[in-house]
Amino acid sequence: MKSRFKSFAPYGVIWVVLLFLPPVIPRFYTYILTAIFVTALLAMSLNMVVGHGGMFQFHHAAFYGVGAYTFSLILTKTSLPFWVGFAAGPVVAAIVGLLIGWFCVRLTRLYFGMLQISLGSLIWAIAFRWYSLTGGDDGIHGVPVPDVISSSISVYYFILILLTICLMIMYAVLRSPFGMTLQAIRDNPERCEAVGINVRRHQLLGIVIATFFAGVAGVLFVVLEQSVFPDLLFWVLSLEIFIMCLLGGWFTFAGPIMGAAIMVSLRTFVGIYTEYWTLILGIILILLIFFLPEGVWGYVLEKFGSRPYGRVERKDVDASGGERI
Amino acid sequence: MLPDLSALGSQFLVGLSRAMILFIVTSGLSFVLGVLRVPNVAHGSLYMIGAFSAFSISKLLGGGAMGFWLALILSPFVVALVSLASERLLFCHLYQREHLMLLLFTFALMLILGDLVKLTWGAEYRSIMAPDFFEGSVSIFGLSIPRYNLFLLILGPLVAIALWLFTNKTKIGKIARAAAVDREMVGAVGINVSWVFAFAFVLGCFLGGLGGALVAPTVSITLGMDHDIIIEAFLIVTIGGLGNMWGAMVGSLIFGLTQSFGVLFWPQFAIVFPYTAVVIVLLWRPRGMLKSVW
Amino acid sequence: MWMLQVENVYKSFGDFKAVNGANLSVNKADLVAVIGPNGAGKTTLFNLITGQLKPDRGSVIFNDENITALPAYQICRKGIGRSFQIANIFPRLTVFRNVQVSVLSQQRKSWKLFYPADKLAGEETESILKNVGLSDKARHIAGSLAYGDQRALEIAIALGNEPELLILDEPTAGMSAEETAATMALIKRLAHSRGLTILFCEHDMEVVFNVAQSIMVLHQGLTIMQGKPDDVRNSNQVQECYLGGAEPC
Repeated sequence: MKSRFKSFAPYGVIWVVLLFLPPVIPRFYTYILTAIFVTALLAMSLNMVVGHGGMFQFHHAAFYGVGAYTFSLILTKTSLPFWVGFAAGPVVAAIVGLLIGWFCVRLTRLYFGMLQISLGSLIWAIAFRWYSLTGGDDGIHGVPVPDVISSSISVYYFILILLTICLMIMYAVLRSPFGMTLQAIRDNPERCEAVGINVRRHQLLGIVIATFFAGVAGVLFVVLEQSVFPDLLFWVLSLEIFIMCLLGGWFTFAGPIMGAAIMVSLRTFVGIYTEYWTLILGIILILLIFFLPEGVWGYVLEKFGSRPYGRVERKDVDASGGERI
Repeated sequence: MLPDLSALGSQFLVGLSRAMILFIVTSGLSFVLGVLRVPNVAHGSLYMIGAFSAFSISKLLGGGAMGFWLALILSPFVVALVSLASERLLFCHLYQREHLMLLLFTFALMLILGDLVKLTWGAEYRSIMAPDFFEGSVSIFGLSIPRYNLFLLILGPLVAIALWLFTNKTKIGKIARAAAVDREMVGAVGINVSWVFAFAFVLGCFLGGLGGALVAPTVSITLGMDHDIIIEAFLIVTIGGLGNMWGAMVGSLIFGLTQSFGVLFWPQFAIVFPYTAVVIVLLWRPRGMLKSVW
Repeated sequence: MWMLQVENVYKSFGDFKAVNGANLSVNKADLVAVIGPNGAGKTTLFNLITGQLKPDRGSVIFNDENITALPAYQICRKGIGRSFQIANIFPRLTVFRNVQVSVLSQQRKSWKLFYPADKLAGEETESILKNVGLSDKARHIAGSLAYGDQRALEIAIALGNEPELLILDEPTAGMSAEETAATMALIKRLAHSRGLTILFCEHDMEVVFNVAQSIMVLHQGLTIMQGKPDDVRNSNQVQECYLGGAEPC
């Protein structure tokens, strides 16, 4: 118990610092931090199925976008109250996750990813073209957010609190028997079948949970920006979130948060000096792949942490001529 | 509001020619996927470089018919050079790593190449004109089809046959096919697997560049081309069967035809037609319609 | 009544007939071995029993129940545990977690979402680890263990399911003489203390003839005979198969 407290201490300190920041920093930084919170939640939700579940969730952004659009549409096209839209976003995202996931878990790895890209792209294509409903390329603007959370400081605290709650839930899930089983499935699904685990059902539940939180992130995005665009559903965003998890360290718990923080900060600040942000991102990604495959946080933990990380062997080409994709 | 039969027929031929370009591009992606077992996310970028190179070469040579043909021939080689550089300098060091890492590398490559194109050619869109020879339409079975599309309709199957002959009748082609199925065995008989991969990668990208050069006269050459084409190419190889060239043909036909019919019947949602077709195919045959190479 | 009955199973992969008429009977509390040259189909046969593969023809009956068409995880739930020829563990998890996952599955607790796993299944997991001699390595990452320890972990994971029948695929593959003796002693001890029925396949004839109470001889996917060690040793058929040609006997 004591060591658990010790490992939480740095997070606690950061959290307290975050609590006291808004009054003392310029509004722009408050906005950036809030954007980081939303992105961090999205990245964490992806990592649940990728880093901890081992699934090739290639189009996670689809669920993020579905949550965001559901929320926006309810608030702009109906007269339902805020909290209904707020609850509906993640729920609809999770339902879509369940539907798409149901088809994807029947497939292995690369096929899983490709099917998801197809289904997700279909959603994007519909949103992109259905001008009358979704505003097409322009998206939806002016989503009415309650006054109490419309200032940059109040929305900062609102999202920070929600992020904290979501993270706590995710942490509990990952350390539960279900979370352990999911990680075992990641490591060796065949073995799991042989010890009596219904792999597909567990994966499906993991997907539903992850897409639920992606939906929450989508709703929070709209709360922050008061608008939504088809870009949220685009596959490039999905790959960017993937990179965030890799950047932070996808076998750690908090890695994706760090990845999100680095990505958003870099994009904002590099973007001030140059319009070639994607070039820089590509170079960073290559450096990561070559030198830091465990991610920044993973590397830190390995060097300074108390957990017995151990070196996991690089995947070698197996005797049959290659991995089963 | 049903369009009349001749419009249908013409649109069918247009869709077919569009499918041929898709085929040329995706055959390259499929080939790389088959041999290296990695979907090359940067394939779209190389397609885009092919289009931009065609523009530059043609402009350099004065823009006439000669310029066009030389651009068509040279652009794929420019692309091949770019891909060779990427492969030998960076990619080849990752062959022992997990496939996910290779995929992420190709994504990084896409990001870098995309901005390099922006650096080189700027953000405005370009265009290139097909030579006068291609002006106007031709009548086939009473249906009208633009001359350039007819050219594509002939070229597509030629490329398919050439590729088939190459992979089945030449020594290098057969080695590449063998490496797709069992790379350890190929290595064990003394062949340098790394060079086989390099070759496959460059050939695949060459085809992508060729597709880009071919499509150049028919579209605006813009910076978003890589994003647009790669998702289509991915979907096509998935429904066709990973690594399967004839699968790429089948997938391209489905995609190209549904798209052109979509334009005819429901222009606003034309793009939804091919995507829906893909979804239907995948729900029916999740591993693609034809057998994947592994 | 037999605990496990494999009746006339066939399995082909294209033209290759991996299992071509195999029969096997296992009594409760037996120690049964399957022997046969390389490629005889032993692993395929095991895969057919535990559900990784479905037989083209024939049936598998366990405790009077036909388990032939069931998926692997359901067969495991019926009481059959399995260890694999190549160490098939969870490399990124600790040794403790490797076994704990199995135990949690057995206790049907793998769906619990909001309870910390650390508080569950601790005793059972510790006890299994003690049985196979891995207690001191409980906090090690499984992927970093030596090969011999990984094989022990293999068995430990299978034990987590409290199986009635434990199927071991070449448990002493790649081991030195001492490691082999230790592993076989472990297996016999487990069989005794946990009342397990054991079915295994092996290349090491010394191991087989010392330990097994019933031996099934498999040749090119076909069962030649099954009987007591002496009967098998003295059988002309078996001798011809092993020493003679590639003809099915």
